[in-house]
Amino acid sequence: MTTATTIEAGGGTAPGVGAAQGEAPGTVVIDSVTKQYGDATAVDRLSLTIQPGEFISLLGPSGCGKTTTLRMIAGFEHPDAGDIRVSGRSVLGVPPYRRDVNTVFQAYALFPHMSVAENVAYGLQQKRTPKSEIRQRVVDALDLAQMRGFADRKPTQLSGGQQQRVALARALVNRPSVLLLDEPLGALDRQLREEMQLELKLLQSRLGITFVFVTHDQGEALSMSDRIAIMRSGRIEQLADADTVYARPVSAYVAAFVGQQNFFRGTVGGDGSSIDATHAKVRAASASLQEGTAGQAAVRPEFVEIAADGPTAAASGTPNTARGTLIGVSHQGETMQYLVQLGDDQSLIARRPSPEAPQLAVGDAVVCSWRAESVLLFPSDDAASAGGYVAPPTA
Amino acid sequence: MRRRSPGFLLAAPAWAWLLIFFIAPVAMVVWFSFGYKPSIFATQATDKLSFDRYAEVLDPTFFATFQNTLWVGIAGTALCFLIGLPVAYWMAVKAPPSKRGLLVALVMVPFWTNFLVRTIGWQVILSPDGWLSTALQAVGFEPLAILNTRGAVLLGVVYNYLPLMILPLFVAFDRVNGPLREASKDLGAGKWTTFFRVTLPLAQPGIIAGVLLVYIPLMGDYITATVLGGAKGNMVGQLVASQFQTAQNWALGSAMAVVLIFVILLSAGIGAGIVWLVTLPFRARNRLVIGPPAPVPSAPSPGSGPAAASASIREEVGA
Repeated sequence: MTTATTIEAGGGTAPGVGAAQGEAPGTVVIDSVTKQYGDATAVDRLSLTIQPGEFISLLGPSGCGKTTTLRMIAGFEHPDAGDIRVSGRSVLGVPPYRRDVNTVFQAYALFPHMSVAENVAYGLQQKRTPKSEIRQRVVDALDLAQMRGFADRKPTQLSGGQQQRVALARALVNRPSVLLLDEPLGALDRQLREEMQLELKLLQSRLGITFVFVTHDQGEALSMSDRIAIMRSGRIEQLADADTVYARPVSAYVAAFVGQQNFFRGTVGGDGSSIDATHAKVRAASASLQEGTAGQAAVRPEFVEIAADGPTAAASGTPNTARGTLIGVSHQGETMQYLVQLGDDQSLIARRPSPEAPQLAVGDAVVCSWRAESVLLFPSDDAASAGGYVAPPTA
Repeated sequence: MRRRSPGFLLAAPAWAWLLIFFIAPVAMVVWFSFGYKPSIFATQATDKLSFDRYAEVLDPTFFATFQNTLWVGIAGTALCFLIGLPVAYWMAVKAPPSKRGLLVALVMVPFWTNFLVRTIGWQVILSPDGWLSTALQAVGFEPLAILNTRGAVLLGVVYNYLPLMILPLFVAFDRVNGPLREASKDLGAGKWTTFFRVTLPLAQPGIIAGVLLVYIPLMGDYITATVLGGAKGNMVGQLVASQFQTAQNWALGSAMAVVLIFVILLSAGIGAGIVWLVTLPFRARNRLVIGPPAPVPSAPSPGSGPAAASASIREEVGA
């Protein structure tokens, strides 16, 4: 609606509407928001400031509170405590149809009884836009979404990717300050999804609209976001750009959720810079843990080198080596992935670029090695288990 | 394409049932309606065919009864719709999902009792010396004078047919899922606009089913009219039944039945036409036809949307 500009002009002087000074249109401020369903806390004192024009992803497993957060910004859920401001104005108690945000829904939620053009026109009709202007803006929005040629079809006559584009056009035609996207690519096949990721990112940087993108797919979050908020049990575990989240995760949970990790659990030894696990002693480059406590080391599969074990397998000078049996090899296109059994309860994944991948067969004795700089140390954390998989939190 | 035969075979029992118990009897009724009652002891004969029975049907008494039937049929269906719509909407949208099974069961409860018994139950309640009338008189009202009127018939049919309206409407509203309503609100529509532009149009199949399920049996109903209507609440169903059972004139009864079928079809068609006409301006207002894109040489051709789009993206990335 038009409130954004008035608030901008009025600044903090407008009484009773919770206007905050210095929050430009497109800013979303979530201020210690809590949402409970019965005994379960879906969102727990969450605070987050989203800058205008930013592409931010809320990333986490199902049940982490990311969708609830999005729905509170959209107005479909109401916080039990805290405040949400869009463009500097509190939206508490403001119904969804009076908010300057639009949503792209998970299953698109296109109206099946209306044509593509009528779907896109729906929002403009609600704002009593003149008919000639509606027509022009619908055509523009469909052009933007590359769906101009499908204007008079019904949504049921479209493929998933096409429906996705219509849903995007239907939201963007209203020129919202903030666009909310609730796992919009989840229903698409992989190739289409990767194309759409690229398109969404280009569209967002062209339009300069704030995008809040909810996903459980770390690849999506990494490829598109300016910043990623990794959520866990209703709180933000880490908020940073993709590089930081990938290279310097603040916890084993984040480390395991973004990309893949090999975890070794054991006792912290050697000045707090190594973990004595059952089948390997893992050394990191720097000390960060208390000696003698329980801890875990994480190393990404792409940092693990693998070679056939034998007399020729000379020590490569790396401090970390582990011997085991190759129990699986899988070709993943640009990389080869090796699954190595180190012991009964410890396996290790190594990944090498296909051109330089060693020729190994299942059952071979292999030796794996990795540099100390690639090892991350974390205190013991029940969320991460050996093998790099994370059990979703219960909340 | 899938082969047709297995599906057709699966439907064979249903077709046989329909043929033996529906199409054949209706055909017989139509056939009888062209015959006559030859003697006091015979019910019908078809050795001489004529339209005489139809001429007999269209006498003033029958006409008045038909008017009455149409009135009860239309008013009853309209009342069932107006009462059933909010109930079904509430059940499907507002009531907590965990309670919906129970609510549907409650709607079905009256069906556990015999139709006739339920209707006679109303006779007891509405009788001038029944408990309701007595109670009203105790607080100073006149004795109830509703029994044996058209109003009583209307009350009886609404009571008897309401579940048949609520159930299809409930299913229809239940099918219009939450995200569609949320999308409507997200796009700036309030709850009334959302209801009239999204929920109601999408519930259309359920509305049609509910209206027909109530209207058709209601037009032919004669139990409710007999028990609650008396002489003033006479309906065509009663006349048909009396021709078959009392007067033993199957030819005339058949002609009445055929006229009834015809009137039901015609009135339903007229009703649909009226609804279509009334909603026409609203539908026209929201219609938006864009037409094919103007032939610009560089524009992506229709039918190649995503492919062209991703190609253009690749170009942009490559540039």
